[in-house]
Amino acid sequence: MGLETKVPSGILLTSVEKFVGWSRAGSLWPATFGLACCAIEMMSAGAAHYDLARFGMEVFRGSPRQADLMIVAGRVSQKMAPVIRNLYDQMADPKWVISMGVCASTGGMFNNYAIVQGVDHVIPVDMYVPGCPPRPEMLMDGILKLHEKIKAGQLVERPRKNESMQDFRRRTGWIDPVEEPSAGERTHLPQVPA
Amino acid sequence: MADPTTTRRSGQSGDDLRPTGAGPGRSTSDMHGGEQAANIDGRELDVALPGHLRALATRLTAAFEMLEASGFRDELTLLAPAERIVELLTFCRDEPDIRCELLADLSGVHWPAGKRTESAQETTGWPSYEFGDEAGRIEVDYVLYSLTHGHRFRIRVELPDVDPMMPTVTGVYGAANFMEREVYDFFGVQFQGHPNLVRILMPDAWEGFPLRKDYPLGGVDVQYKGATIPPPDQRHY
Amino acid sequence: MSETRTPASSGAGWQDAGEPANGRRLTPAVPSEHTVVGGDWQELPNAVEDDLMVINMGPQHPSTHGVLRMLLTLNGETVVDNQAVIGYLHTGIEKNTEYRPWVQGVTYVTRMDYLSPLFNELAYCLAVEKLLGIADDVPPRAQAIRVMLTELQRISSHLVWLATSGMELGSTTAMIFGFREREGILDFLEYVTGLRMNHAYIRPGGLAMDLPEGFQGRVRTLLTTMAKRIDEFEDLLTENPIWIERNKGVGVLSAEQCLDLGVTGPVLRSAGVAHDLRKSHPYCGFEQYDFDVITTDTADAYGRYQLRLGEMRQSLSIVRQALDNLPETPVMVADRKIGWPAQLGLGPDGIGNTKEYVGKIMGQSMEALIHHFKLVTEGFTVPPGQVYVAVESPRGELGYHVTSSGTNKPYRVKVRDPSFIHIGTLPAVTHGLSVSDVIAAVASLDPVMGGVDR
Repeated sequence: MGLETKVPSGILLTSVEKFVGWSRAGSLWPATFGLACCAIEMMSAGAAHYDLARFGMEVFRGSPRQADLMIVAGRVSQKMAPVIRNLYDQMADPKWVISMGVCASTGGMFNNYAIVQGVDHVIPVDMYVPGCPPRPEMLMDGILKLHEKIKAGQLVERPRKNESMQDFRRRTGWIDPVEEPSAGERTHLPQVPA
Repeated sequence: MADPTTTRRSGQSGDDLRPTGAGPGRSTSDMHGGEQAANIDGRELDVALPGHLRALATRLTAAFEMLEASGFRDELTLLAPAERIVELLTFCRDEPDIRCELLADLSGVHWPAGKRTESAQETTGWPSYEFGDEAGRIEVDYVLYSLTHGHRFRIRVELPDVDPMMPTVTGVYGAANFMEREVYDFFGVQFQGHPNLVRILMPDAWEGFPLRKDYPLGGVDVQYKGATIPPPDQRHY
Repeated sequence: MSETRTPASSGAGWQDAGEPANGRRLTPAVPSEHTVVGGDWQELPNAVEDDLMVINMGPQHPSTHGVLRMLLTLNGETVVDNQAVIGYLHTGIEKNTEYRPWVQGVTYVTRMDYLSPLFNELAYCLAVEKLLGIADDVPPRAQAIRVMLTELQRISSHLVWLATSGMELGSTTAMIFGFREREGILDFLEYVTGLRMNHAYIRPGGLAMDLPEGFQGRVRTLLTTMAKRIDEFEDLLTENPIWIERNKGVGVLSAEQCLDLGVTGPVLRSAGVAHDLRKSHPYCGFEQYDFDVITTDTADAYGRYQLRLGEMRQSLSIVRQALDNLPETPVMVADRKIGWPAQLGLGPDGIGNTKEYVGKIMGQSMEALIHHFKLVTEGFTVPPGQVYVAVESPRGELGYHVTSSGTNKPYRVKVRDPSFIHIGTLPAVTHGLSVSDVIAAVASLDPVMGGVDR
């Protein structure tokens, strides 16, 4: 009745990357990281009226080690910046960051001594959601765009356009034990006495 | 070492700011211009204060002669010397007809050294105001409130700008603990005898006292295409 | 470690400490060098000698109401001392207001206590109006609408308190219920002011714009549904044995302790002291509304819960009275040198100046155009002086100590936020409690870190 009838002989073809991307996006667990007013809108987005559970995100993990998404919701003060960095480092790969609201994206209306002008000074950000505070629907729009980004993510590096294989291997640090070292390069293999 | 607790005679926000009359068109028919004139000199107690606050002012100045009472917009302010503050607040808390159980607020204001004039805005036609002294001062304001009598008044202490120090009142009101830490954090006022005088809102290793007027606002320059907008502390409007 | 290290010789593989071969770690090998330091570590007790343990709670913790950090000194599981470290949300709002005109101060100040922004705006505007001397000139319609909206916001703030406290004590249903009810109020506030939070609607001299048409029906529906929903909350929690067990006797703060520590609001009223600024120092015409000041005498978290439920019902009654007696006057003070020049309206592209007003300033009156320009760019000037104005916010006495030096910008805006004072009571409130009770006690104080840190 469902998908199974459309699939010939019960075989489904996909790529590992698409499959992994789909599963990651489907159950992205956010870490509780509400700071200020945006946190209230984030909680509203997680509550019953604007439901985040339909995207698999209702479990806001308390521990950053169990979370894959950090939604920085609110203004980041100078005292809080090392804490954020610590928490970001505690998260396990793969991890993504949404900077929610203008204060987290750029410092917002608080262009002064106390606020870090954008949390991207401290951690890398994948999605910026503007607003002061952004409506729950705007946050969900940002989350859905992030889902697209996650689904399109690559698991392994691929060579860039017009990049030679040698440059590619050098960029990613791949060591091929059977590769002939080019003339003049030091070998990584143990020096076997001739 | 300079005596840090001398009272400043001329130091009241409402008192120092006298209209110079040099501003354009101060219309006496304008209700707000007229009302300001009566209240600019804060010592007009008969005009400004309701009866119960006048009685309170008399009571307190009788008990502590060095207090200077003034009124502005139905609020009583008493200027007190820093070294008598603990005694004064204990009196206000324990004396049955004053009975201020609650320390509502403890805050600081920084008036830096030098006279300055605030110029009039042409549309409003209001006068210019001149304020400031040769030496800068930091005023610490205590707002006391009585639940039994329902009165509220302010005790103001003035400290010199440089190395301001005064005794703590945490022994009188426990609420002063955090509030004095905040005044220390933002203005640098040392409260002697405070159990834990460290920074409270700024990071612990922060240098400088942010809410002083000589501390810049901070922040980054905002990039505009084809124009430069100066930071807010340098804008002329 | 030798320089010529091969993958084969490096041992068991990438899980080893040390760099994996391709230089990219999958888990952090060493913790980040960025650590948070406290200012008074040297005063912490010695664990060996005193058999005490110091545990750090926060600043990121699911159950501390925002970024509050508590250093609990525990003897077993009983709290001996509790040092609160705050400042993780310090925004420098007070300094920012010194560089912006008076009206723009409203947008800054509204973001302090972000669960009840209209209270911040109201207290600030009352202070500015007092300084200006126009406190009696604010039109009665503006005052009544201010009362109506702030009481609705009080209900919404108490709902968030119920929701988060319930969640922290384990009741996720309370969280879902609380935020669901709150949507109704936020919907109405959005209908009136344009925003769900941080409205910037109350301006010095009155309001930014009048209520739109059709608000009467919306408020009446809101009042009836909200009354029923509060009853649902009662059914859920009041007789609930878990709720009672976790809240009765927890976080006791006697009346003398409260007054000494500067505590006001629901916490003080739960200790039996019937002190409400709306009754003792009425503002915005509160003397004409008939409501009770709810008190309990248990001074514990359960008493505060009952008190806040009662306050929500009283607020509903006040909103009904304000709605029934809404006068028909303008909503901005008549003085053209102070009042916001245009009463905004809803146009095809959102809220802005109405077409008639634009026609008037562009076509008919040059003076009105100049006034508008000057008031919007520079703003009005406020005569010099210092005032202290306090309102009864959902958390306690919210006071604004505003100093003016006679210009178009404030000289100093000091906010006496109740949550800041209440965080100072944490050692007293949590002494002798177990760690789980600490969470219940802190939740019952209802701190909002935006107000604490400003």
